[in-house]
Amino acid sequence: MSRTKSRDHGVLATLFLYEMKRLLRDTRMILIAVVAPLVLFPFIIFVMRSVERSEERRLTETVYQYAVVGDEAQWGRDIVSAALALEVNDPDTSRAPVHFEEQQVSDSDALLNSAEIHLVVEALSPESYQMIRAAEANADADTTRTDDDGAALELPTLRLRYRGQSDFSQNASDRLGSRIVDLRSQLRDSVYTARGFSVAPAQIAMVETENTASAEKEAGALLGLALTPFLLLLMLTGGSIMAVDAISGEKERGSLETLLTTAAARSDIVTAKLLGIVAVGIAVAVVNILNLLVYVVLGVVDLPETFAVALSALDLVLLLLLFLPLTVLISSALLLLSGYAKSYKEYQIYFFPLFLVFLVPSLAGMLPGMDLRSAIAFAPIAGIGVAVREIMVGEYDWLFLLIAFSSTGAAASWAARLTERTLSTERLISQSDLDEADLVGGPALFPRHVLRWFAVMWVVYLMISLWFGEDLGIRGQIVVNLVFIFFGGSLLMIRRYGLDPRAAFALRPVHPLVWLAVVIGAPAGYIVGIGLAGLVNTYVFPVPQNVLEAFGDTLLGDEMPLWQLLLFLTIIPGILEELAFRGVLLHGLRKVFGPVGICLVVGAIFGIFHVSLFRLVPTAYLGVIFAAVVLLTGSIFPVMLWHFANNAIGLVPAYMGWVTEETAVPWWGYALGLVGMIIALGMIWSVRSPYPDMRKKRPKAFE
Amino acid sequence: MTEAASVRVQALQKSFWDESRGEIRAVDRIDFDCRAGEVFGLLGANGAGKTTTLRILATILNPTGGTASLNGHDVRSEPEAVRRSLGFFSASTALYPRLTGRETLEFFARINRYPADQVSRRVEELIERFGIAEYADARVEKLSSGMKQKISIARTIVHDPPVLIFDEPTVGLDVMAALEMQSVIRELRDEGKTIIFSTHIMSEAEKLCDRIAIIHQGRILALGTLEQHRQATGQHYLEDIFVHEVMAVEGSP
Repeated sequence: MSRTKSRDHGVLATLFLYEMKRLLRDTRMILIAVVAPLVLFPFIIFVMRSVERSEERRLTETVYQYAVVGDEAQWGRDIVSAALALEVNDPDTSRAPVHFEEQQVSDSDALLNSAEIHLVVEALSPESYQMIRAAEANADADTTRTDDDGAALELPTLRLRYRGQSDFSQNASDRLGSRIVDLRSQLRDSVYTARGFSVAPAQIAMVETENTASAEKEAGALLGLALTPFLLLLMLTGGSIMAVDAISGEKERGSLETLLTTAAARSDIVTAKLLGIVAVGIAVAVVNILNLLVYVVLGVVDLPETFAVALSALDLVLLLLLFLPLTVLISSALLLLSGYAKSYKEYQIYFFPLFLVFLVPSLAGMLPGMDLRSAIAFAPIAGIGVAVREIMVGEYDWLFLLIAFSSTGAAASWAARLTERTLSTERLISQSDLDEADLVGGPALFPRHVLRWFAVMWVVYLMISLWFGEDLGIRGQIVVNLVFIFFGGSLLMIRRYGLDPRAAFALRPVHPLVWLAVVIGAPAGYIVGIGLAGLVNTYVFPVPQNVLEAFGDTLLGDEMPLWQLLLFLTIIPGILEELAFRGVLLHGLRKVFGPVGICLVVGAIFGIFHVSLFRLVPTAYLGVIFAAVVLLTGSIFPVMLWHFANNAIGLVPAYMGWVTEETAVPWWGYALGLVGMIIALGMIWSVRSPYPDMRKKRPKAFE
Repeated sequence: MTEAASVRVQALQKSFWDESRGEIRAVDRIDFDCRAGEVFGLLGANGAGKTTTLRILATILNPTGGTASLNGHDVRSEPEAVRRSLGFFSASTALYPRLTGRETLEFFARINRYPADQVSRRVEELIERFGIAEYADARVEKLSSGMKQKISIARTIVHDPPVLIFDEPTVGLDVMAALEMQSVIRELRDEGKTIIFSTHIMSEAEKLCDRIAIIHQGRILALGTLEQHRQATGQHYLEDIFVHEVMAVEGSP
C-alpha cells in the first residue's frame, strides 16, 4: 500500500538528518557506548600488561624453596644440585636463571600445602617407588606424569611434587624438571662418548624448520581470520545504538504513531532508519579501529615483532566491497529486530541470539582447511569471512570472490526488502498496544509463555544432569527430573496461570477401541523406531557402536531388580513425562501452532530433553507420534499406556537376555511394524474425538 | 448534498484475528460523512471502535471492507495523499524529546511536504499563534505537559491540512488544558477545517460537536445533531441519549 510514486529525496534527507540529530544529542548514550570503550580499552590493556609483567618479574625473582625427601635423599640432592648448576650456567641468556634454595624440613607435604615451600623432591629407591605407584594405581592417578615405560626399575626415581594452583610452585617444578631432563641427556651423551660413540649424540636426527612465508603473509593470515568477526562485532554493537531507538524506542515513547500519520512514505521512513544504522555502525567501527591504531602507534598495544601488513589499494577496495553487503545485512537485521520488539527491553532480549547468528558464520575463516573455492562461498557472511582471509594473504579467486559477494549481497537485499515490508504493515502499530492478557494474566497468557517455561526447565534439567548426574545415580536422576522438574514444573504452570488441571493434563475418557490400537501400536512403533534410528545412524550422523553399547550398559548396569527397573524406567516416565510434554506443553501450544506444528514442536522438545545426539531422533519420533495420538483422542491416557509399553519392550527382553546387541530385526519385521503402525493410527483416527479448543485457523483475508 | 463531503466513510469494516476468539469486528460496516467547517463527533465507550476507525482514516490500519476517503483521496490507493491532507492528534502521539519545539515544527512541516521555501515562515506563524516563542528553542523533554500540548497541536496543523483528527485529545488533561484544547478546535473549525473529534466524555461532545455519531461495539447506532438525537430519543441530555441508544441494542438493563 505504501509504494511511493514519486520518491521525495527531501523527505528522506530530512528524516535521516533528524534521526542523526536526535542520536547525537543523546549525550549519555554516546558517553556510554562510544567514549567509555575508547577510554576503557587502553586502560584494560595497560592494566593487563602491567599485571603480566610484574607476574613475570616475580616468577624470575623468587627464590624457590624446595625440600628433598625419600629413602634416596642424598642421591636426589646430588642430581638436583647438578641440574641447578645447569640452570645457573645456562648459555641461553634470553631468560634469566631462577634460584632455588633447599629447606631442611620434616613435614614436607604439609609445608607444600601451606605454600611455605614450592616444591618437594622425592628421591625413591626402586622398591619404595613401586610401592607408591601400586598404591596410587587404585586411587586416581591422572595427575601424575612419568617417564616410566613399564620396564622393571633398577635405579632410584625422582618425583617432583608441586601444587598446580600456584604459578610459582608450577614454575619451580617446570624449571627444575626440564633441567633434570637436560642433565639426563648430558649424562647419556657422556656415557655414549665414553663407550667410543664416534659422532656427537646430539647430532642424531637433527631437525631444522624454516618458514617460507613473508611476514606480510603471516600477518595477513592472522588479520584475515580476525577481521570479519571483529568488524561484525563492532557494527552489531555500534548499529544497535541507533537501532534500539529506531523503532522499539519510538514505539515506547509514542512518537512512532506521530511519525506514521505524516505524509512521509513508509519506504522513506524505513530507508532513513536503515541508513542511520549503517552510518552509526560504520562510524563506531571506524572510530574503534582508529583508536586501536593510535594505541599501536603510541606503543600501548604491542604487536608481534615481525608484524607487517601490506595491503594494496586494490585490496582495500575489495575489502570495502565485501563488507558493504555485510553492513547492509546487519543493519537490516537490527532494524527488523527493532520493529519486532515492543520495547527497549525486548530488543535487548532478542539481540543476543541475533548476535550469535551473525557471529558464528563470520568465524568460518578460522576453520582449518576452509577454502573459498567450495560451497562456503554460497553461504552469506561465512563466504565473506573466508574471502577476506584469502584477500589478506594475497590470493584472488575472482569467481569465488564474486560468488561470496553476491550471496551476502542477495541476503542483504532480501533482508532490506523484508524489513521494509514488515515495517510497512499495521502490525507495527497494533503490536504496541498492550494486550488484555498481558495485564490480567491467566490461561490466555499461558500459550505465549509455555515455551519459555520449558526452556527454563531444560536448562535446570541440563545443569542437574551435568553437575549431579553421577552422584544421583540413575534412580536419583529419574526422580529429580521427572518428579521435581517435569511434574513440579507442570504444577507450577497450572498454578501460575490458573489452568484447569483436567484440561491441562488432558484427563479425558477415550473410546475402548483406542486401547486395542495402543496394544498394536506400541510394539509396531518400537520396531519402526529402531529402523528409524538405524537409518539416522547410518546416513545422518553415525554413532560409534561402543557409544550405543555404553548407553545400554548404563541403563542395565546398576543392578536393579526388575521391579525397580520397570518402576523407574517405564511406569514413572510413562505417567510423568506424558503429563508434562503431552499434557501441559501440548495444552499451551494448542493456541500457538496448528496440529502438524504441535506434533513437530512437541516431538522436537521431547527429543532435546533427552540431551543426547543419538537418542534425539528416536525420542523426537516418539514425541511426534504421542502428540498426534493426544490430538486425535483428546486424552492423555492412551499415550501413557503406549509410553509405558514402549519402554518396557525396550527393557524387558534385554534384561532377560532374550535379545543382545547383535540381535538384528529382519526386513519383514520393519514391514510388519510399519503396517502395525498404520493400522493402529487408522483405528485411532476412525474413533477420533479431537483435542478441544484448538487455535482457530486464520483465514487468508487476515494475512 | 450541495457541499462535497471532505471525509466520506462507507460500509467501513475492520476485523482483527484473535488466536483464541477468532474474528473480532472492531469496526462493523459504518457510514458517515464530514464536511468542511464542522466538528464531527464520534462518541463511544473505550473499545467501541473509535480509535480503530480513526487509524484507518490515517492509513495506519488497513480496512478489511468498505471504503474511506479524505479530501477525495482513497485511504487504500493513495495513503500518502491522504496523510498529506490530514493532521492527526491523539493522546498517544508523542513528540521527540531531544528536539526543540522549533525543530519539531520544522521537521514535521518538511516531512509533510510543506513547500520548502515557506517552512520557516509557517513555523514562526505557529510559534506566535500558540504563544510558544519563549520556550521554542528548549528541548521538548524539558517542557511542562501544557507546553508540550501546545507544540503538539502546532505540530498537527503545521502543514495546514484541510482535515484534522483529534482522537480523545483531552484524555489525561486537567480542566484548563482541556478547555484550551476545545477552544483551539473551535477556532480551527471556524477557519474552515474538517474536524473529526472522538471522545467518551458526554459534556465535551455536547458542547463541541456539530454532529455526533454514537458508536458502540463497532457500529454507529445513531447519527445527527444534538437536536436530532433529542427528538429521536425524547431525552434531553446526551448521557441519557447515549444510554437510550445503547439499551435499544443491548436490551433493557
